[in-house]
Amino acid sequence: MSEIESKAESILKAVREDPSYLNLWSAYKRFQKMDLPEPEDPNKVVRIAVIGSSTLEPLAACIDIKTRLEGLAPKTFVGGFNTFRQEALDTGSSLYQHNPDVVVLSVDPWSLLDQLFLSKFVRMSDDEREEALNNVVDEVASVAETLAENSTALILVNNFVVPVFTPLGIVDNKQTMGLREFFRVANEGLMERLRENSRVFVVDLDAVAGDFGKSKMINWNTYYRGTVVFSESFMPVLADEYLRYIRALKGLTKKCIVLDLDNTLWGGIIGEDGMEGIKLGNTSPGLEYVEFQRVLLSLYNRGVILAINSKNNPDDALKVLREHPYQVLREEHFAALRINWQNKVQNLIELAREINIGLDSMVFIDDSPVERAQVRQALPEVLVVDMPKNPRLYRETIERLKVFDVLSLTPEDMKRGEMYVGKRKRAELQRTAGSLEDFLRTLDLKVRIRLADDFDTPRVVQLIGKTNQFNLTTRRYTDAEVREFRDSSEYRVYSMAVSDRFGDEGIVGVAIVRCECTTWVIDSFLMSCRVIGRNVETAFLARIVADARSAGAKEVVGEYVPTKKNAPAKDLYERHGFELLGTDGDGVTRWLLNLDEKTIEVPDYIQLIEE
Amino acid sequence: MSMNDIDERLTEIVSKVLLLDKGEVTDGLRRKEYEPWDSMAHLVLISEVENEFGIFFEDEEVVDIWTVGDLRKIVASKLGV
Repeated sequence: MSEIESKAESILKAVREDPSYLNLWSAYKRFQKMDLPEPEDPNKVVRIAVIGSSTLEPLAACIDIKTRLEGLAPKTFVGGFNTFRQEALDTGSSLYQHNPDVVVLSVDPWSLLDQLFLSKFVRMSDDEREEALNNVVDEVASVAETLAENSTALILVNNFVVPVFTPLGIVDNKQTMGLREFFRVANEGLMERLRENSRVFVVDLDAVAGDFGKSKMINWNTYYRGTVVFSESFMPVLADEYLRYIRALKGLTKKCIVLDLDNTLWGGIIGEDGMEGIKLGNTSPGLEYVEFQRVLLSLYNRGVILAINSKNNPDDALKVLREHPYQVLREEHFAALRINWQNKVQNLIELAREINIGLDSMVFIDDSPVERAQVRQALPEVLVVDMPKNPRLYRETIERLKVFDVLSLTPEDMKRGEMYVGKRKRAELQRTAGSLEDFLRTLDLKVRIRLADDFDTPRVVQLIGKTNQFNLTTRRYTDAEVREFRDSSEYRVYSMAVSDRFGDEGIVGVAIVRCECTTWVIDSFLMSCRVIGRNVETAFLARIVADARSAGAKEVVGEYVPTKKNAPAKDLYERHGFELLGTDGDGVTRWLLNLDEKTIEVPDYIQLIEE
Repeated sequence: MSMNDIDERLTEIVSKVLLLDKGEVTDGLRRKEYEPWDSMAHLVLISEVENEFGIFFEDEEVVDIWTVGDLRKIVASKLGV
């Protein structure tokens, strides 16, 4: 580590130990004075812009350093005081010159309203109230839309804090539109107007403030001295909310929760207390565990993978999963199970391999501090949750984790749990089949490849953002960039959906091809780890090659850019008859398929569904 | 709260806001002569001191803090030590 990097690390260490506003601010200022080298991995860079109606450097500082704590390299632009409209409208503004990946738009609704709005509100007619409301919503929403049009960034728009005070007192909601309702309706308006925009997200500032305490979210001294509209204690909390989006954008989302059983999913020890003795039921003690499991099930239902890592006799533990009347999570909810007397670190490594995800997308939940410490030490990339001693707080602990966010929820996400059951069954079949080909023949594989349409695009963007293993070039493209490729005559964006007799995997493959006259260059080629080992990549390449041939191309060129994780994709081109063109200094290999001499056939056990 | 205790906590805040090691914080450090001590840093410094000690500075007092020594003196007087 160079001197400057170790200095950076020591600054961040202080923040990690105490993420107070003072430490975040100090770290931000210190980083600004440092001349840090560019990160080796350009995907680590996040260009952030914070604009709005108040003094925003303090908030930007918190976002910047919290982003750095995630291992990313933020470059942060802070907009001028109340100049967000000009910054958004002028395509030559320093905001756009910054070329942001994320724009935080923080507009205080009171800065948009008449200065006497509060004073006059009680005497205003319903029409006047509605007009003011529409204006406020429109001002913020139209700036957000403009930002989305003029940039490729993700736009994060704060909604409005519903005030605690109203001059109408307890009869506020006896009015057609009271003051508090005014802001609630404005929030709904903002939400509805921006719902269909895939790059604009309304951040629920009102909910974050409500959770934190609205009475503490402003420090009136800094508010009046410097128009800093959020208090020192609130800003780090608010920054955490923006970080959810930044993590999702950068593919740092956790995918899998690995659970202990005894004293985690139920109270007591099944091997000692038995089925009737463990605490699991519809009254306390026992209800705590049932409700904790219900939250886990809610996450499973939206695509978080569950797995078990428990020191137990498998028969004892499985009996609870299968037969206990109050058990919420059953065997079929778990993608993989390790119930044995092995070391939990080893189990985690095996689970990651079986489920085929990285250890860095796993969350480990165990009541034992000893097990947690072991995992934390041996596998620092796993998120080990500090579970409270009190099981009544388990539920809240998992609800506050906020590490499973995705920018869009696709049908593939919702069905993920079922897909893993299919995977387990497939693995069982494979054990009994003779050869790999025999096994694949029994699967009844169907592949649908097409140019990505509007319906496919959210999933395509998601796969581009998070696929690490079977990814030839690991080029991350945003929603806007993918849409540009789709609209361009030079590029083709393909999606591949796969199904077999155990289930429909949905869209699991993406290829982006650049057509340069007689040469087609495969810019990106990636496939979800779920379908590795079914030779569907051969069908995918076969389709691209066939399209290239019919468009008059003479050759197809592919690249492999090695990363820490993409070894599974390394021999793709070699396996399919491409010739090695050369290797550059970073180990990037280029491959060529001469269409006059060679072709790629769809395997006969894969049915290609043409569209 | 002893004077030493106050000094220690003030030095900590000043060093963080003005990007100095604790040993580099001296009473003679002057706002107009030290570039990182800009108006934003002054605002942060004042509010952090207010929050830490539960005190409040009038606007005139904020303007009249020119050196670290000035800050120490006014905090001590507000805390009655």
